[in-house]
Amino acid sequence: MKPSLHFRPLRPAVAADGATTLDLLITVSAPALSPERQARPRQPLNLALVIDRSGSMSGSKLSYARKAARFLVGELSERDRLAIVTFDDEVEVLVPSQPVRDPQVFIRAINTIHSGDCTALFDGWLAGAMQVANHLDAAAMNRVLLLSDGQANEGLTNSAEIAAKVAGLTSKGISTSAFGLGDGFDEDLMGAMAGAGDGTLAQIESPAQLADLYASELEGLVRTFGKKVSLGIRAKRDVQLLDVINDCELTAAGNWQLPNLRHGQELNVAARFLLPPWQPNREIVSVRLAWQQPGSQERHSFVEHLTLPVMAAADLNGMEPDLAVIELFELLLANRERSLAIEELDRGNLRAARAHLEAIDQRLSLLPQTEAIQKERLLLEEKKTLLDQDRNLSRKRMRRESLRSSMSVWEPDTDTSKGSL
Amino acid sequence: MAQPPTSSVSADSGASLVSYGLEELLATAGERLGEEITPRTVRLYATEGLIDRPGKDGRRAVYGQRHLLQLLLVRSLARRGLSLSAIAPLVVCSDQDLQEQWQQLDDGTSASSPPDARTEALAYLQGIQDSTAQSTAQATDHPSALLPLLGSVLSSRSASLRASRTGSRSSASSSRWHRFSLAPGVELHLSESASIPPPGSRREAWLQRLIDRLREQLDQQD
Repeated sequence: MKPSLHFRPLRPAVAADGATTLDLLITVSAPALSPERQARPRQPLNLALVIDRSGSMSGSKLSYARKAARFLVGELSERDRLAIVTFDDEVEVLVPSQPVRDPQVFIRAINTIHSGDCTALFDGWLAGAMQVANHLDAAAMNRVLLLSDGQANEGLTNSAEIAAKVAGLTSKGISTSAFGLGDGFDEDLMGAMAGAGDGTLAQIESPAQLADLYASELEGLVRTFGKKVSLGIRAKRDVQLLDVINDCELTAAGNWQLPNLRHGQELNVAARFLLPPWQPNREIVSVRLAWQQPGSQERHSFVEHLTLPVMAAADLNGMEPDLAVIELFELLLANRERSLAIEELDRGNLRAARAHLEAIDQRLSLLPQTEAIQKERLLLEEKKTLLDQDRNLSRKRMRRESLRSSMSVWEPDTDTSKGSL
Repeated sequence: MAQPPTSSVSADSGASLVSYGLEELLATAGERLGEEITPRTVRLYATEGLIDRPGKDGRRAVYGQRHLLQLLLVRSLARRGLSLSAIAPLVVCSDQDLQEQWQQLDDGTSASSPPDARTEALAYLQGIQDSTAQSTAQATDHPSALLPLLGSVLSSRSASLRASRTGSRSSASSSRWHRFSLAPGVELHLSESASIPPPGSRREAWLQRLIDRLREQLDQQD
């Protein structure tokens, strides 16, 4: 079973007698889960649930966190391992990693979680990671699930440093998902951790959503087709890669890092190239998809090459552009525009932040008003309103939406954590 | 036409067992990198000292594993936006260092898999822990109240035991307990002032042994 790479240019040709700006949609599709695979037992999970129990978590948040943790335990079997770690200013391994043979062992421990002091977020993550690492199983999905409502204010707190350490662990086979709860967490840190962790980012405004989130996370882990997915985009000679609209992290080898790929899922990457006058049958770009299947150390990859018919520029410009390509480009650009709005917001320039949102809404208003475009415009409208009413919440949501271009972002209104990528 | 690999390579070319003609080198590197490499690029890098001079087999230039690694590294780093002058110092090192650098850079595309993923992951985390906890860890030798209960498990290791993170709390005033569920109805409570290994792989290993040992006891009672 192999994923596929599909190219969809804005117009199905390039110019022979002039330069072409080529907008290319690259679609990565994972094969659907086959019935026989579905019937087989899923691969085991090796998880550590790391729960913030700092003072700010007290009350309903912690009560929901306990409830959701109990739910998670109920979903696991004795083939799975789970560790439960809590942290405030200190870290406590509540239940060391062990097979989920008797859920009551975990549930009793979960019921003892009470709130404490500050937030040693990094140390908590580290302890959870240790639990998973101790039983690292190449045949399992090994992941740390970090739940926090706060900012790291004890121990290592620098977001870039933390992300670098999380990325290091990802390369050793343990991924990290980061779940921010409420209105006090550091959305940049959580985004950076989930991105570096090759995991899921979730921002939960109501703790009541936690159980749904855990269910989706488990579903995602079980349905993972490929992890450490990367896309190498190599422009051939004389071709210039102008932009990749998805603001993905680059891997060390200079490839675009995509989120985990689930069975049946499609990821879209939008790239813009500049070509000089072109000759027929000449390759324009090669794209290399690489991934690792869960339960295997082996890295798979394949390369697809793009050639396009060549015609006179005048004829080319007369061709109808592919509206689906325009739509996806604009949606990805809208995510990027949110990052720019956040930058302005951080500078205290509310007006400029709003201008970014308005500019993209203006562009979206010119497109056919499909369901996706309408939904996007509603989201933008909401952010504009929030900018005045609740700047913090507005920033959090914009950050979450901006990251949809490059990582798995859990969206509460859908049943999977599939991003708009 | 690519030449077949030759087995005779002079030692001073820096190459190991494998040797390539120019075209093979280009093809191998191109495949690993997912991009075309031209002979001009290789010549440029050789002139700039980024790749060692090739060996000679008659009039034919011969490249080895070291050249391949250098080429892979230079291209990967250049693609990340490093200038050639910044790259230059990184590629004059031992073959092993080159290999390690490339493995770190390459997002796992090399065929070799890590010897033991668990060991590597643990060593990695231990490294982080050592660097962040250095200032807080403290050696203690005093036996804890647990000693009689734990018997040889603890006493055999007590010389190397360390106190858990003292942090802002003094151990004397601590009323904090770590709880570990061992089996239904059986919990282990450890006071923070108990002498157990610091959080991390050593403590985990220690606890695991302890748990196994206690489980044995419990099982025997059945």
